[in-house]
Amino acid sequence: MPAKLINLEIDGRIFQAEEGMTILEVARREGIHIPTLCHHDALEPVGSCRLCLVEITHRDWKGWRGLVTSCLYPVEEGLQVTTFNEDIRHARRTVLDLLLARCPNSTVIQKLAAEYGVLATSYAKNETDTNCILCGLCVRVCAVKGCNAISTAGRGVERVISIPFDEPPPDCIGCASCAHICPTGVIEFEDADGVRRIWGRSFPMVRCPSCGQPVMPEAQLEFEAAKSGLDPDYLRTCPACSQKKTVDTIRTTFELKAVEVAG
Amino acid sequence: MEKVLTITPSRCTACRTCELACSFKHSRNGTPGIARIRAFMFGEGRNQVVTCFQCDEAACVKVCPVSALSRNEQTGAIEVNELRCIGCGLCAVACPFGHMNQDRVNHLAIKCDLCGGEPACAAFCPTRALEFK
Repeated sequence: MPAKLINLEIDGRIFQAEEGMTILEVARREGIHIPTLCHHDALEPVGSCRLCLVEITHRDWKGWRGLVTSCLYPVEEGLQVTTFNEDIRHARRTVLDLLLARCPNSTVIQKLAAEYGVLATSYAKNETDTNCILCGLCVRVCAVKGCNAISTAGRGVERVISIPFDEPPPDCIGCASCAHICPTGVIEFEDADGVRRIWGRSFPMVRCPSCGQPVMPEAQLEFEAAKSGLDPDYLRTCPACSQKKTVDTIRTTFELKAVEVAG
Repeated sequence: MEKVLTITPSRCTACRTCELACSFKHSRNGTPGIARIRAFMFGEGRNQVVTCFQCDEAACVKVCPVSALSRNEQTGAIEVNELRCIGCGLCAVACPFGHMNQDRVNHLAIKCDLCGGEPACAAFCPTRALEFK
């Protein structure tokens, strides 16, 4: 059954959307910019960065209007959305001011804050040296991969991204997806001498049988092969060597064919 | 029946125009490193271009943890949803033919998407070694 279509207004223009879509999804589809830090299309939205705030109202709401996180708010019939005005700018400024107080050294936050005119934070600077904005992308991507090796711990100002009992996480497969997705580049990993070091663990890498380049951690290979049902050998060869092998196969096939034709 | 990108090695001169056309089409910069098609020279005038086979049962689709790869039913090509891609690079490793790659700058998967039904490589191939028919 096709999804029910809904009409809504964004910045004075009427758009059609399917029931269940969020305001952010519709806006992005239509090329309307809404800043985000904690959003990723592949992951469940959580609304933790509060940057995607937009103003909503409805003609039946008797003039009531309010700010909502567009990544979480589902579209509804007759909704009127404003993606930028003075109130929104003020709210985003406060958010960025607070983020800058938390991570004064993060270039990503500095740049975004400067776009909203926040050149220095008006709050007391965080003294612990962290660039983590607690967006939770790393935790969510780890869950989507099926590992759940990391999570958030503590509440309020003590909230941190953490590994269980602060010991090297047994469920980690060393895929480094958390490091790749982190918007402020906090999560560190190191690939050296065929070993990947991340979250306090060392993962020996599988080496490509043809060229010897490290391809992925052995733990990840086992995990991915079991999850996808693919032949583990598919995951051992690096892309460049796989391509070379394909080309060689095609070439030898043609050469044999040429010999046959000539012969 | 949907059109197919055909490759005729006997007409290929490995001039690499396809690589450039591909790169310009997908990123507006002429970096053959991110081209979805690759030309190989074996010497003695024998050349070969290779690109994604758009497999029916594709390993890349199977391993993607976030379902960022899906088939476009109109063109028959498997396409990357760049907004969903988390850049883990698993698809590139899983492809048994090595026809997938990873953009080193943006950490996104890159593969042939048949340019949405009008492949630039075929349009620019001077010797018609690549045809879309």
